[in-house]
Amino acid sequence: MSQGRSGAEQRLVTPGMAIGPLSGMRVGSGAVTHNGEIIATKLGWVREFNGTISVDPISSPYLPRSGDLVIGTVAEVRNNLWFMDINGSFQGLLPMSLAPWKVEFGQARQHMNVGDSALARVQEVDECHNVVLTMKGIGLRRLSQGAVIEVPVNHLDRIRGDNNSNLDRMKDVSDCRIIIGENGRVWVDGSDDGIAWAREALSIAKEHGHKDNFKSIMEQHEKKLTKKGDA
Amino acid sequence: MGGYGDVQLLRDDGLRLDGRKLDESRPVTIEAGILPAADGSAMVTHGLNVAVAAVYGPMEAHPRKIQRQDRAVIDVRYNMAPFSTSDRIRPGFNRRSREISKVTAEALESVVLVERFPRSKIRVEIEILAAEAGTRCAGITAASVALADAGIPMRDMIVGVASGKIEDTVVLDLDKAEDNYGQADLPAGILPNTGEIAFLQMDGDLSPEEFDLAMEYNFKAAREIHEIMVDALKARYDGGDN
Amino acid sequence: MVELVPNLLRQEMARLAEQDARIDGRGQFEGREISLETDCLYNAEGSAKVTMGKTVVYAGVKFEIRTPWPDRPSEGSLMCGAELRPVAHRKYEPGPPSPESIELGRVVDRGIRESGCIDMNSLCIIPGEKVWGVMIDIHVLSDGGNIFDACGLAAIAALRTAIVPAERFDVGDDYTLSVNGTPIMASFTRVGGRYVYDPCEEEELGGDERIHITIGDEGHLHSLQKGLRGVFTPQEFAEIFEVAQKKCAELRKIVAEKEAN
Repeated sequence: MSQGRSGAEQRLVTPGMAIGPLSGMRVGSGAVTHNGEIIATKLGWVREFNGTISVDPISSPYLPRSGDLVIGTVAEVRNNLWFMDINGSFQGLLPMSLAPWKVEFGQARQHMNVGDSALARVQEVDECHNVVLTMKGIGLRRLSQGAVIEVPVNHLDRIRGDNNSNLDRMKDVSDCRIIIGENGRVWVDGSDDGIAWAREALSIAKEHGHKDNFKSIMEQHEKKLTKKGDA
Repeated sequence: MGGYGDVQLLRDDGLRLDGRKLDESRPVTIEAGILPAADGSAMVTHGLNVAVAAVYGPMEAHPRKIQRQDRAVIDVRYNMAPFSTSDRIRPGFNRRSREISKVTAEALESVVLVERFPRSKIRVEIEILAAEAGTRCAGITAASVALADAGIPMRDMIVGVASGKIEDTVVLDLDKAEDNYGQADLPAGILPNTGEIAFLQMDGDLSPEEFDLAMEYNFKAAREIHEIMVDALKARYDGGDN
Repeated sequence: MVELVPNLLRQEMARLAEQDARIDGRGQFEGREISLETDCLYNAEGSAKVTMGKTVVYAGVKFEIRTPWPDRPSEGSLMCGAELRPVAHRKYEPGPPSPESIELGRVVDRGIRESGCIDMNSLCIIPGEKVWGVMIDIHVLSDGGNIFDACGLAAIAALRTAIVPAERFDVGDDYTLSVNGTPIMASFTRVGGRYVYDPCEEEELGGDERIHITIGDEGHLHSLQKGLRGVFTPQEFAEIFEVAQKKCAELRKIVAEKEAN
């Protein structure tokens, strides 16, 4: 995924703007075809990759996809089903059969109650956008400590960096565990200072994630914590 | 509508009361992303009109009765603030606002790719802070920019424009006096990239030729205002890349 | 309007409170950045726009001429209302005025009214026949936390810069509305067990009860309101009342500076 906008000329387009003729190109996300032309449907940057033209949107609602790792919050517990807010249009359903615990009927709340947060995966999304979640899987669990911070879905790749380089550095500097949910939520756990630093770092990503100088701004921020540690 | 004989709207030099030419729009400014709480937002000033739009969604469509299985519904609330007009408007249900909300929603549903979000709704909240003829148009423009700001996919944006007739002369973009004492008002919502029309209302008296000229003026204004919309969205994200 | 409160957020709030820290890095009684604009609504006789952090509100003052109440023939009237419309936040669903929006309007109203900054007799045009009715309408456009203080500030700033539209109603020349004093509201929310000043959105979500205090120029209390579920002690109140005095003085200065320009 692109980290910066350097190199090839990057065009910022708005919905309805013609990107180019269709001729042999495939149309990716953020664009549609109309009268032999490729039209942008979102505000974002034009991307051409392997014969596919798409638009990298500035901002986007979260659309759950099967396999997504998500951080959810229990909104309701009913009939041994957990309804979880996963920051999408619809809540995700976690059925008893896909929970990581052996749940006695009527005992669901004992394991996870309203307001609890958990790491889950999207099991499937049907054509009506009903989302089923699973917590059967490595690492999927209730999150009993730490902080959950919201970030724009479109900045997740920036936050990770190439090969997770940025994410690894953030973990190092803050000495925190950091897990990124595809649904625009990040879990951070560690010392209070570390969590506070990570909060700020993610806030910076929110403000400047799409800019060329994002990397250097992050580097400035990293110095803050290392300085603190020296004092 | 109706013409009141004693108010002269066209000056002897052929210009309008505020000095504009027949085919000249009032000045327009647009700013995107002005409301931190919203998913997308915009403020449009068009002459003395000030329209603010906030977009929330897509979200599950509640109540159940408005939900559609095959697509999203666009839930528009067009509202005039009590202090937006010369005489204060009592807050509460307003039939004019209800109608404008409906036709604005239907216009936006024609450009938003609603099939992508079945059973959902997208809230568009239009608030008019100052009104000087042309608020529904400013509202449509603000809503389009706010939707783009929120990342809601659209096949085009909609530009809200209006033309009319004063003293038997077709003019672009009626101001308050012209709207009050003029003979026709033709607001339209135009898709700038395809030239299609998603919103159209009219009241007064227009011959077919006058209608054609009025629409020609509307298209001219749509082209001009569209550029301002694009600049406003780009300004949100271009600045700071250096 | 019921928001989902994540338990982790409340846990974090408690931890932060223990270390005398806040989620956005502010001090316990430190307010957010404020901006105040007046004379910003074309059709209003007085207007103000206030931003506090991510909260954005407008207040507009409108005048009308009415017949006075029979038992108060020389008194005009003052009415303050607030609209908390769906534009302001995802959590505000469309519908009739919510108890929250009604409370907001009434709390701001009491603060201004009880300070006596408007002499109702000064609104008299012809005793027994014509008096001015002053209406302040507050419009919240973005709820980023502590809309109460933002609304209170916008309302008084709009009032203090209002011009009575006598010419339009043919009862004389326009003149500046006479407003004696600048009542200011200071709000506190219990977050993680202790009170903080000027809560932001996350603090309101993860916090508990709130207290709104309106103080006038002399340091007197003019209105109080405790909202939401929770209890406090007289000692806690004494502490935040002292802080409120300082905060209100600071905001009063901002209004004065705006008027001077």
